[in-house]
Amino acid sequence: MSACIDLYDVRCTLAGRTVLDIERLVVGEGERVAIVGHNGAGKSTLLRVLSGFTRPTAGQVSVLGLRLDASLPPARLRALRCEAGQVLQGLHLVPRLSALENVLIGSLGRVTGWRSWVRRYPAHEVERARAALATVGMLDQASMRTDGLSGGERQKVAIARMLVQAPRLILADEPTAALDPAAAQVICRVLGMAVAGKTLVSVVHNTTLLPLLAERVIGLRKGRIAFDLPQSQVDTRQLAALYGGPSVPVRDRVDEHFKRRQHTCLHPDASAGRSPCH
Amino acid sequence: MNLATVRLGVRPRLSGRGGFLALVLVYALLVAACLGTLAREGELSLGRSPIANLMKTAGEFARPSLLDVWFGNPALEYRSDDGTLLRVENRQAVERAWLEGLGRATWTTIRIATLGSLLGALLALPLAVLTARNLAAPRALAWGAKAVLDTSRSIHTLVFGLVLVGIVGLGPTAGILAIGLHSMGTYGKLFAEAIESLDMAAIEAVRSVGAGPAQVFFNAVWPTVLPQFVSSHLYIWEFNIRDSTILGLIGAGGLGLLITEATALFQWGRLATVLIVIVVMVSGFDAISRRIRQALA
Repeated sequence: MSACIDLYDVRCTLAGRTVLDIERLVVGEGERVAIVGHNGAGKSTLLRVLSGFTRPTAGQVSVLGLRLDASLPPARLRALRCEAGQVLQGLHLVPRLSALENVLIGSLGRVTGWRSWVRRYPAHEVERARAALATVGMLDQASMRTDGLSGGERQKVAIARMLVQAPRLILADEPTAALDPAAAQVICRVLGMAVAGKTLVSVVHNTTLLPLLAERVIGLRKGRIAFDLPQSQVDTRQLAALYGGPSVPVRDRVDEHFKRRQHTCLHPDASAGRSPCH
Repeated sequence: MNLATVRLGVRPRLSGRGGFLALVLVYALLVAACLGTLAREGELSLGRSPIANLMKTAGEFARPSLLDVWFGNPALEYRSDDGTLLRVENRQAVERAWLEGLGRATWTTIRIATLGSLLGALLALPLAVLTARNLAAPRALAWGAKAVLDTSRSIHTLVFGLVLVGIVGLGPTAGILAIGLHSMGTYGKLFAEAIESLDMAAIEAVRSVGAGPAQVFFNAVWPTVLPQFVSSHLYIWEFNIRDSTILGLIGAGGLGLLITEATALFQWGRLATVLIVIVVMVSGFDAISRRIRQALA
C-alpha cells in the first residue's frame, strides 16, 4: 500500500501559537481516516495543509507523491488540487450559480480555455454533472440557485461537484456541519458511496457518524495526535478524554462547570484577567 | 491654578444635551456670521422690484411654450412704433420647429449620458480590479489605480467638459468624454466595493478543484459581482442623465444649450418646456432603473 499522505515533523504556527504539531502521519492509498477533536484542535488546519491552502511553518508534507513546499510552482499545486477533491462546509459554493453549474465547477481541471470562462461546458461533462446530481438525489433542483437551497441540499451539491471532479484523494471538512441528525446520516451515506475505493480524510464532529466514514480514527488535541486507532477500538472513554480532559462522568463536569461559573459571576472583580463567563 | 490649566485639564465633551446645545450654538454663530458679513457688503439685496419680476416670471413659467403648438397665435403681427406692419409670424409653426429641436437635444443628452456612462464603466473596470483589496494586486499598481480614480472623482463633470471642449471642440464628444472621465471614479469605487464584499468561500471552492486564476475569475468572481455591477451601472447612468442636461451650458451639446439660450433671452416659457422634458425623462429613467435593480437583487 503506497502512501497517499506523508507528514513528517510538521508544525504550523499562527500568531505565535502552535496550532498544529505532528511528528509523523502516514495515510495509505484507499484508507478512510476520520479526524476528531475539539474546536481549535487543528483539524481544519491539517486539511488546509493537505490541500496546500496553508503552508506549514516547518516540516515536510507530501500528498499524492508531491512535496508541498515553497518551491512548488502554482501550476503543479493546481494539478494536485485536481486530484485532491475537497468537500468543505456547505457554504463553499458559488451562491448565484445554479446547482448544475456549481457541480460543473468540478470539471474545471479538465475543461480549459474560453469554454471554462463563459461556462460553456462540453456535452459529456454536463451529462456527467447531471448524473452526479442524480446520484446525490438533487437532479430536480439542478437549475435552482444554490443560495436558495437548504444546508443539506448544498452539502449534496458539494459532494456531486466532488464526484464530477473524480479525485484520488478526498478531503472533507465537517461534511455534516449544521445538519440535523437525519440529514447527516444521508450525507454520510452519499459520501461513503461516492468515495468507494478512494482515500478519504474527513473532519468529523459528530462521533456517532464515525462508523459510516472511517476505518481509522485520529484524535487531535492542541495540534498533536492524541490517538490513532482503528475505528472499532475507539470508544466513548477515549473520545471523552479527547474532548473533555480527564474522563469524569459528564454529569459531574457540568455541575463543576456550573459552580465555577456561578463563582466567577458573583465576583466580577475576581474574574478580571481570567476568561469571562460564558 | 489658573483658568487656562483648568480648561486644558477638562476634555471637551460633546455628548448629552449640553454638548448638543453647544453644537447648535456654534452652528447658529456660523450662520449669523455668513448673513452678517454678506449684509455688510451689501450683497443681500433682492434687486429693485423682486415682486413684480417674480410675478412676471412665474406668469410666463405657467405658460410653457409647449402650449403654443396648439394654442399659439397663427398670425402674430409685429409692428413698429408708428404702427407699420413689420412681419407676421405663425407662433404654432415656430414653436413646433423649436419643439423638434428640443427633441433632438433630448436625444443628444441621452446619447451623451449613455455613451459616457459606458465609457466610464469600461475605464473603471480594470482600475477597480487593481484597487480591490482582497484581490491583492501589486501594491504600486493598486496605489496608482486608486490615485487615478480619486482624481477623476474629485473633478466635476463640468470642469472636465470645459477642458475637453478646448481639446476636442464643441459638441457631444466633449460631453461623452467628460461624463466618462468623471463617472469613472464613482464606478471604480462602487465596483471595487462590490469585489471586496465578495464571498471568499466561493472563490476558495473554485480554487479547491485546481482552477487557474482566469477560471476562478470567470466562475466565482464574475457571477457574484455581475449583478452588483449592473446595479451600480444603472444607478450612475441615471445620475449621468441628470448631469448631462447641464453639459450644454459649456457647449458640450444637449439640453443645456437650450437652457442657456432660453435664460439668455428671458424666454421663461421655453425654459419651462425644457424643465418639463427633463423631469419626465429623469423620473422615467429612475422608475425603469429601480425596477431593474430590484429584479436583480
